[in-house]
Amino acid sequence: MQAFAYARPESIPEALALLAEHGSGAHLLAGGTDLVIALRNGSLRPTVVIDLKRVTGLSPAIRREDGHLCLGATTVMRDVERDAEVLRHFPALAEAASWVGSVQIRNRATVVGNICNASPAADTAPPLLVYGAVVLAVGPDGERRIPINDFFVRSRQTTLPAGSLVTGIELPLPAGRMGSAYTRLTRRRGTDLASVTMCAGVDGAGVTRLAYGSVGPRPVLVCDESGVLADPAAPDEVKAPILEEMLAGASPSPRSMRAGPEYRLAMLRVLGRRALQTAIDRLAKGMA
Amino acid sequence: MNAETIGADFPRTGGLSRVTGGQQYVADIKVADALQVKLVHLDCARARILSVDKSAAEAVPGVRFVMTADDLPQPVPRFGPHASDRPVLAAGRVNYHGEFVAAVAAETKEAAEEGARLVKVEYEELPAIFTVDAALAPDAFLVQDPAIRRAGDPLANTNKFAEHRFGWGDVEAAASAADLIVENRYAYPMVTHFAIEPHACVAAPDGDGVVVWSTNQHPFQLQKILAKALGLPLSKVRVIAPDLGGGFGGKQWPNIQPLLAFMALKLGRPVRLVLTLEEVFQQVRRTSAEVRIRTGVKSDGTLVFQDIESNFLVGAYADIADRVVSKGNYLAAGPYRVPAVRIIARGILSNTPPATAMRGFGVPETAWAREMNLDECALALGIDCLEIRLRNLARYQEEFVPGDTPADGRWEQTVRRAAELIDWGKPMPPHCGRGIAVAAKSGPTTGLSYATVRLLGDGSVIVFSGTSDMGQGARTVFAQIAAEEMGVAVDRVSVVMGDTSVVPYDQQTSASRSTVIMGTAVLNACRDIQGQLRSVAAHRYGVDEAAVTVDRGVVRLTGEELSLVEVAKAGLGKMGGEYVGNGIGRKDAVPDHPLQGTAAFFEFNCTAIEVQVDPGTGELTVLRHVTVGDTGKSLNPMQVRGQDDGAAIMGLGHAMMEHYIFDDAGRVRNLGAIDYRIPTSKDLPLELISEQVENGDGPGPYGAKGVSEGSILCVAPALGAAVRDAIGIAIRDLPLSPERVWRAMRDGK
Amino acid sequence: MNDRFPIDLKVNGQRYQVDVPVYRTLLDFLRDDLGLTGTKECCVVGECGACTVIVDGRTVNSCLMLAVEADGGEVLTVEGLAAGGRPGPLQRAFLEHGSAQCGFCIPGQLMSAHGLLLENPHPAAAEVHEALAGNLCRCAGYEQITEAVLAAAEEVGG
Repeated sequence: MQAFAYARPESIPEALALLAEHGSGAHLLAGGTDLVIALRNGSLRPTVVIDLKRVTGLSPAIRREDGHLCLGATTVMRDVERDAEVLRHFPALAEAASWVGSVQIRNRATVVGNICNASPAADTAPPLLVYGAVVLAVGPDGERRIPINDFFVRSRQTTLPAGSLVTGIELPLPAGRMGSAYTRLTRRRGTDLASVTMCAGVDGAGVTRLAYGSVGPRPVLVCDESGVLADPAAPDEVKAPILEEMLAGASPSPRSMRAGPEYRLAMLRVLGRRALQTAIDRLAKGMA
Repeated sequence: MNAETIGADFPRTGGLSRVTGGQQYVADIKVADALQVKLVHLDCARARILSVDKSAAEAVPGVRFVMTADDLPQPVPRFGPHASDRPVLAAGRVNYHGEFVAAVAAETKEAAEEGARLVKVEYEELPAIFTVDAALAPDAFLVQDPAIRRAGDPLANTNKFAEHRFGWGDVEAAASAADLIVENRYAYPMVTHFAIEPHACVAAPDGDGVVVWSTNQHPFQLQKILAKALGLPLSKVRVIAPDLGGGFGGKQWPNIQPLLAFMALKLGRPVRLVLTLEEVFQQVRRTSAEVRIRTGVKSDGTLVFQDIESNFLVGAYADIADRVVSKGNYLAAGPYRVPAVRIIARGILSNTPPATAMRGFGVPETAWAREMNLDECALALGIDCLEIRLRNLARYQEEFVPGDTPADGRWEQTVRRAAELIDWGKPMPPHCGRGIAVAAKSGPTTGLSYATVRLLGDGSVIVFSGTSDMGQGARTVFAQIAAEEMGVAVDRVSVVMGDTSVVPYDQQTSASRSTVIMGTAVLNACRDIQGQLRSVAAHRYGVDEAAVTVDRGVVRLTGEELSLVEVAKAGLGKMGGEYVGNGIGRKDAVPDHPLQGTAAFFEFNCTAIEVQVDPGTGELTVLRHVTVGDTGKSLNPMQVRGQDDGAAIMGLGHAMMEHYIFDDAGRVRNLGAIDYRIPTSKDLPLELISEQVENGDGPGPYGAKGVSEGSILCVAPALGAAVRDAIGIAIRDLPLSPERVWRAMRDGK
Repeated sequence: MNDRFPIDLKVNGQRYQVDVPVYRTLLDFLRDDLGLTGTKECCVVGECGACTVIVDGRTVNSCLMLAVEADGGEVLTVEGLAAGGRPGPLQRAFLEHGSAQCGFCIPGQLMSAHGLLLENPHPAAAEVHEALAGNLCRCAGYEQITEAVLAAAEEVGG
């Protein structure tokens, strides 16, 4: 393992000061499940690693606030997958969190870390997109709210301004009824990186949102407001062209080891239909 | 026999330390003053080394030495079990992705890593060969310099390492008499052992010799190879091989050990190296194979001939791969009665990691082709796939390979049991299918094992054996045999292994041999003691020796029964002492035999699988996996089950998800645990049933045969057949990944 | 900030106050500094689970955690499962069910199983598979491992 310095700030201003002082040489540490690998294999060579776990105000707790649920900067996957409020209002997020790595990984890996790494295959990204999450950030210029769809750029790149850090993720509680589901394609059933990720959300007004990933540089959010996709009675041949258009944003890399582009595109459609069906079923059952 | 000892589920001897964390694997052993070693290798598959600049590495605080080929005797010593073709350190050239060109020794791991990063190697990357087609192309360059091939090798100017021809009968004549001939080509992927314990080695100067701790299945073979490379007598090379964290064949033959031994002697200090998992993948893997097979049958399904041409892709150095090619192909026609067989099997050199032994030893590669092709014959003729196997299966004592050991089991029992357990013939829901396959693997063809048994003054026992316990449970089985023969409780037996200075010679731990060959040696050592006690009893009780019998732990005199331990104690008297017995287990070579020896036994297995295919994604769910083996006698059924379950699941890994992925330049892209997938606890069959047929007809103690490999042999064809049954398409390449199955469904072929 | 950092933690109930290099992983700290070699090293990317330990009641891959991150915490390793030198119920069950073959993955399997039973004293087989999915066993003794975990749960939970 390479040498680096380690800092453990106790407050947000202290953390921001460290970021300002070290610039691009600084790297934030939350769960560390990606960072420590990068430190060991040398793909990242920071001068200082800033551990956020003792910062007051960056708590691991999941808080119910007025009209929304808030995940903390250090909330781990394992807590998200089992949280009663998440399970009730955002089941697809719980499903996605439960698919990340192993229990050991999920006990350390954070949702905020997952989206800040911005891997196109990040499991939590599609449900956060479908649920209209907002990324809460703080930086030298103060606080900022970034809609999650404006957050992702490409792998390892987000719109988080330099010198800033993410303090939490806000999930607006659905105003009316909603059904949602997350699914993914992997090479085996046990822990695996996804070759395709897919989340579907259908609300009582007939609006369908799909978000998918691992088929392009960043996860994609698309929306159907015609009500056709959400309509259980609509025939497949009417749904198919709409779905086709919604999935047109996929451009899987031919270089991936996990699956070929042709297969990924085909599976995107299969998973899209399946997630949509589950979401519609859940809406009907009043399951969120 | 005492049913409480032999055939009982004894907890593992050595099990307690395995569940408390006390088991000392090589990487856990602290050797005082040891320097940490890190290897330097290049990010390419083949290169000419132009220069190695050590200066930056040597400047790292803590770095003590940077070893390159120049620091070795010249020409650089080469070693290998088959041919001495592998250099201790890359000599001027790198011939596969991961071949090490230098090694840094430092006071800490971090300094060694930093040093290794700073060794500057200038090299010219060269094109690499990593497929059979490329290796056999008319204009292909030579992977191995003819100078390092065996003297007089007629294939030295080709990329064929060897070509073996086996067979009997007249295939062409048989072909004209066949009612149906089916010909296809099948491919088996390049997979790796992935023992959870990475390879590790510590070497230290030891007086005027050297001591080497190594993750090694064959300590005596390593001793021999090291002695030759270092120019030392065997008595000055001590190899300590603690119990292994998994071997599966990948820890049989040396790769890093000669380098470590040279470094230790050069530096006069112990040196220690634990490979990363990525490096392990670059040092050991299974042969991949392309098999073309022509199967001829009569209209009733009777086999009339099999014509097989196998090209096994081996690595840049031979390791033991040639033996895999010959032995794996020798039984390529399967455990069947076939009047005419022609087998051509080649080992093809390539710029890929050295292929070595791996569980099944070439048989899974050929069984995949043969069994799938036999099904195609059955389907074309409208014959049931179980029926065609029963029709052709060799019967008990039938010489199915002329001149070799006849069928040593009632194999039809095994097959019928597997069929019963999978509900063969019962209708299945849509998208589901069933498959059944059989295979047999030759046990060892030669063997020599010595064991020493000491019956101590208090009636406890120590067994000394050169076998390596890598999880198969040899320790437990030897303890059970000694306990049975000495009439003591199993927990009063200790088993000492893994130190060439302490235990007597054992040829090797491979080919599922240890229960049969070393087990026989242990049994004979016990019988040696029984013989001594017969004399003791006769003398002590004033009877003729002929009137004394010893049966297991019981000594019988006329009208009297004494425990063996009682007699032993009485014989030792007040002075005390112990009895020492020596035993040999051997399987002699047959010089003119194609494999230099007949099979000691066969590992016969029938695997039957029920699978569900997701019609949308191609994902497979194994609903039921049945594996039935013929063990002769399971000395410890709980351990046999562990081995059979484990081999079955490893076979599923190979069949469903495992394979090396190469880039255009011959680099392995998926080194390590992230992109090389093996089965987890969530990838198991919904139901896994392993059973054993026991007729006491094996050559080992109490009628045992070897186990441990049987259950892997024909998993792929059983799964392939089940998938074909479900989707109506035979897939001839592995692994049966969701993508491959989906593609087959989409293309209808 | 410098390259060593003082930490104060408990490992298997014993307190340690030491300065560790900040780049030292918890795995290396346990094995190399404390000599607790029961925790194993294999993939070092959090895939195999051989290095699993319990930190503050939760299973973690000690290869992916810096030792400094355990400051103030309580770490339990396989060496801490045997109370007073006597193997605990899980360890006994692993022995009795033949769950340990080569044994190299077993400390990690035991820690994951222990972590599961802390949270869920009566797991179903599928829950055991889920909890142990991050612990590769190439001997593939998964069936016998699962049986042992279920048996230990039975014994402890009654």
